[in-house]
Amino acid sequence: MVVRKIVTLVEEIHLEGGRPVAPAARIAVVAAVVRNPWAGQGFVDDLGPGIDANASDLGELLAPQVLDALGAPAEAFGKAAIVGLDGEIEHGSALIHTLKFGDHFRKAAGATTLLPAVEKRGPAGVVFDIPLKHITDATLRSHHQTVEVRIADAPHPDELVIALAAAAQGRPQQRLAPLSTEQ
Amino acid sequence: MSPPATAARVGTEPGRDTADATPEPGSARTPGRVAARVRKTVLYCEDILTENGTGPALPARQAVVAAVIENPWLGTGPARDLAPEVEVIAPVLAKALTDRLIDALGGVDAIEAFGKAAIVGTAGEIEHGGALIHTPWFGNLMRDFLQGESIICFADVRGDAGETLVVPMWHKTAAATRSHYQTISARVSDAPRAGEIVVLAAASTGPRPHARIGDRKTDPTVSAENLERDPSW
Repeated sequence: MVVRKIVTLVEEIHLEGGRPVAPAARIAVVAAVVRNPWAGQGFVDDLGPGIDANASDLGELLAPQVLDALGAPAEAFGKAAIVGLDGEIEHGSALIHTLKFGDHFRKAAGATTLLPAVEKRGPAGVVFDIPLKHITDATLRSHHQTVEVRIADAPHPDELVIALAAAAQGRPQQRLAPLSTEQ
Repeated sequence: MSPPATAARVGTEPGRDTADATPEPGSARTPGRVAARVRKTVLYCEDILTENGTGPALPARQAVVAAVIENPWLGTGPARDLAPEVEVIAPVLAKALTDRLIDALGGVDAIEAFGKAAIVGTAGEIEHGGALIHTPWFGNLMRDFLQGESIICFADVRGDAGETLVVPMWHKTAAATRSHYQTISARVSDAPRAGEIVVLAAASTGPRPHARIGDRKTDPTVSAENLERDPSW
């Protein structure tokens, strides 16, 4: 796996709706810009070997870094695969929609749910939103949130951006009634 | 990286007093949240592992930190003296932003290059952004906190939320060091609102990935006069 660069983004929200958020709401993203392992090979029927060769390594690379950047226990998480223009969405999906990738994050964060995801193809500098949900209860409304990311020079046409996101809390000023009140 | 600081407000208290003090981590007097009403901060870092297929001989980490604040001069006219707010707000921002850079880049000694920037929301003047980054209340303090000697290079722009700004950096003690001319792209997805200013500080721990365009010491003498004498031109 050829990693060109690692990007780390940490957002802290101190005010929302004009009111203080204390402690500050914190979200972290760590993204790896990698060469698409199927670049230049035409239509590859069996993505299995490429998944086996890369997905676990990526999960192992990103999971500890995103938790370190967050600097607090993760309560919500999500993932992203952004495919350069010459690749297939399927290439990005292949690397993140496998337990080989996500289990590293789940294990490190004490999580039990599946990671919500964004898969998208675009040019370098494309803006993408990573959805996050609670790490043990995907129905918990307070923790449904997104974080927006842009890497100025990635992905190149033959690259993928693979990212993990973690939040230390739900939305700032979250105050929606729980799902159970409507059931 | 440091845990989040708490408490988000402003005040009427003089910022200079608070900027001089060493605050308790996470206290309400944490710089950046006393004199300036900071809505959010964003830290963005890049580590280049390979460039053009090869790892850099001197790997560098770049970082840019943004603080989103209310524009304190909204509704004031073009003759308004900006100094009173600058003296209160800019030192606190300089301290808060450089603290984050030092933390993200592994200590002040690791930092080799720096730059600064402002993105002014559409209800403000570029002059408002300039006021916060171009006076000694920000620039001298940023230079001192990062142990630099050079003038700090900059960019500023007025724009809508999500505006991308390329922040230039150069060497913190020898600005003409060509290997350290570099930039980082900065953007806050939902800022600045029309009445906000994004103030940014950037730094890098090394040169460009494969810097190889010489330096003043190695350059031949190139001038327009010499060029015109060259028959092959």
